[in-house]
Amino acid sequence: MHNISRRRFLQQVSAWSAGLAVAAPLFRIAPNRAMAAVDAAPMLTVGQGTDYVALVAKVLEPLGGIGAFVKSGDRVVVKPNIGWDRTPQQAANTHPDVVKALVQLALDAGAKKVSVFDRTCNDARRSYANSGIQPAVESIGSDKVECSFVDDRKFVPVRIENGRSLNEWTFYKDALDVDCYINVPIAKHHSRAKLTLGLKNVMGVMGGKRGDIHPDLGQCIADLNMVVAPKLTVIDATRILLRNGPTGGNLADVEQRDTLIASRDIVATDAYATHKLFNLDPRDIPAVTAAYDCGMGQMDLDKMNVVEV
Amino acid sequence: MSRIEAEQLSKKPRRSTLGNFRGRGWRWARRVTQWVVLVVFFYLFRHTQLTLDPPPEHANIFFRLDPLVAASAMLAGKAMIAGMLMSLIVIAATLLLGRVFCGWFCPLGTLLDTLGPALRVGKRNKENKPASKRWWRGGGYALLTVLLIGAVLGLPLVGFFDPFAILMRGAAFAIDPLLSWSTYEGSSWLYLNAPESVTGISEPIYAFMRDNNILAFERAAFIGAWISAGFLLVIFLLERVEKRFWCRNLCPLGAMLGLFARLSPMRRKPDLSCPGCGDCMTTCRMGAFNEAGKLEPQACTLCMDCASDCTHGIAAFAWRRPAWLNRRTKTNAPRTIPLPIRGQTPSIDLSRRAFLGSCATGIALPLVSAAAMNAGLAKKPKLLRPAGSVSADEFLNRCIRCGQCMKVCPTNGLQPTILEAGLAGMFSPQLIPRRGCCEWNCNLCGQVCPTAAIALLPLETKQTIAIGRAEFDKDRCIPYADRENCLVCEEHCPVPDKAIRLSTVMIELEDGQSMELQEPFVEPDLCIGCGICENVCPLEGAAGVRVSPL
Repeated sequence: MHNISRRRFLQQVSAWSAGLAVAAPLFRIAPNRAMAAVDAAPMLTVGQGTDYVALVAKVLEPLGGIGAFVKSGDRVVVKPNIGWDRTPQQAANTHPDVVKALVQLALDAGAKKVSVFDRTCNDARRSYANSGIQPAVESIGSDKVECSFVDDRKFVPVRIENGRSLNEWTFYKDALDVDCYINVPIAKHHSRAKLTLGLKNVMGVMGGKRGDIHPDLGQCIADLNMVVAPKLTVIDATRILLRNGPTGGNLADVEQRDTLIASRDIVATDAYATHKLFNLDPRDIPAVTAAYDCGMGQMDLDKMNVVEV
Repeated sequence: MSRIEAEQLSKKPRRSTLGNFRGRGWRWARRVTQWVVLVVFFYLFRHTQLTLDPPPEHANIFFRLDPLVAASAMLAGKAMIAGMLMSLIVIAATLLLGRVFCGWFCPLGTLLDTLGPALRVGKRNKENKPASKRWWRGGGYALLTVLLIGAVLGLPLVGFFDPFAILMRGAAFAIDPLLSWSTYEGSSWLYLNAPESVTGISEPIYAFMRDNNILAFERAAFIGAWISAGFLLVIFLLERVEKRFWCRNLCPLGAMLGLFARLSPMRRKPDLSCPGCGDCMTTCRMGAFNEAGKLEPQACTLCMDCASDCTHGIAAFAWRRPAWLNRRTKTNAPRTIPLPIRGQTPSIDLSRRAFLGSCATGIALPLVSAAAMNAGLAKKPKLLRPAGSVSADEFLNRCIRCGQCMKVCPTNGLQPTILEAGLAGMFSPQLIPRRGCCEWNCNLCGQVCPTAAIALLPLETKQTIAIGRAEFDKDRCIPYADRENCLVCEEHCPVPDKAIRLSTVMIELEDGQSMELQEPFVEPDLCIGCGICENVCPLEGAAGVRVSPL
């Protein structure tokens, strides 16, 4: 609760009441990606291991550790894929251990608040629980950590200044109004987008009718990423879904890879994962090429500074 | 008869060993019980939704205790429904104690008692007519007759008149959505428009209501909610005519319990209102004293008002040897009490003529319905019933229209039929995929169905049952009609091997370039008709892929 004097309360209420007729919604959050200069040779780390908690710390180390992303007192968002009512083994959602490790690291780095959320496709309660993510995050037992369902009222309209297919869309306020946004997608097959990786994962913080952007999905995903700018993308390839994505459900379509890929450059992580995990050409992934064309990152595998840990 | 005589009457055969129920304490006990049961009812109501802990399996307990629903569903379904045998508890309690269920437990009765004074505001004559012999008095028995005969003959109408079903539907379809939507819309408006000083107050209130299950997790809306609200509203407004109008004159469950209460050994002493004061006759909320001043056990709900308020301190309730036991010894024993009120089980308020009329109606309605069906005036409808539903013919026999399956459905896709299943099928559940799909990992409707009209299937079984099949409308579906890629349906299809498949074709665009176009089609053997494809189709209005019943 915050303190406010009675006088100030009455002032605000009367000012507000008077202004109601002409008032527009108060918050308009400006896009926080100022199209920062993109590193032409981004560092990208890739590591393998079966202890996913240790692996998270290991892949972050060459990038400067969590301290390079989260400062003391920061408000942090860790955005996994919790889209589906599936178990961790079915590889439709980010692995709970990976999410939990990132949340724990952010707390250790002094984060004031760490939020974990996703706008789910199946029922939110079941998706949060059955993905294992909500239980894992809550097992940390810190009141600085919040793993709550998306609140419909918090989608705010944002202008997308340089958007090529989208010029305005609603975004989740809590995803924009943060100091550090960490993107933790799972790598899996998707018939329309071909693959769903870091760039596609941003669809979890967009409002409105998400199906509407499917005809020109690649460019729309790139446009959405102009608004949501993750400081760090960690692709969870501990197990990947090869077919029948993004929902999966058949364990025969799942492949154990015990791999994590991390970088500041979201285009680089996606391009590298496309090649390394699925043996596909990044140029065949519409979202990757669209984001690259918009100057949002590096997709040329030869120009990346890949560090294997 | 004088007061002395009445006192003597009360003292005569004292076979009760458990003492008398007398005094204000018992009225308070009744009030407290009523409130506790009402709280339990609304706790279970709120738990009739997707909660992972505890699961809503027992949310249907009120319906499983309801002997009217049990009798009707078993007679109509011609089957023993194990889960409904719990209602024997209520029968046993009624045989032992009389209609305590109506007076102490029924949540609708409690609501009527609670809201009655407010509903009667402005009514000039608040006096209760004792032993009202108005023509509608036996309505409950007439309804009961029609319902049970109708059930046997294949036209079960119990859901329209069962008090829990009416209350549950009114609360679930109308009141709860109204509460949820208005709170949500109001707080959202404040959240979006008001300064922090106001949201600092409104937001914690909203969060508290949301997090403590006062609001439904998902804001639901139901087709024809106003009809369900209307049923409830009429019952509440009738409170202006007489106290507990519904309970005394119409409730078929109350009538059924009244039949058993006649046999109960629990009786008031004296069973006559003493002419000296007669207060009990006018205060009785059930109008249970007849014209002779005798308390009729089939109408008395043991509210204990008359025993608490008795100015002479003589009225009490106690167990006595019931009249139907006396009959056997009637010939030997001299009749010490030469009053017609002794030695016979009380008669009910339904004249022979009205009873025969009810029987005739109960027989005629199913015949009319069957005739209409045979004449082709009405068709057996094909609807998307919940997975696990018994066969279409059986479904309406079993379904008691309690609305719990629709209340619990997490997507709000289960909606009440209005006329789609015929007038008699009103309020039965059907899936409207455009509103919400049948979730893959969900069998909640089977969990809460009290009569097993929707069987409780293990998830692995439920996931293989086809309730319908999706079909693409190639004049609307985006890849076919607009030659653009879309595939939102395929993306969401929860069948592990995808019941929506794709065929890739190369098409030539206007500018001469070629494009890969993915056209979806349904794999009929895999599709279970869950309707998520229809639900997520991005088209405005009707979807490009629609689920039809099999």
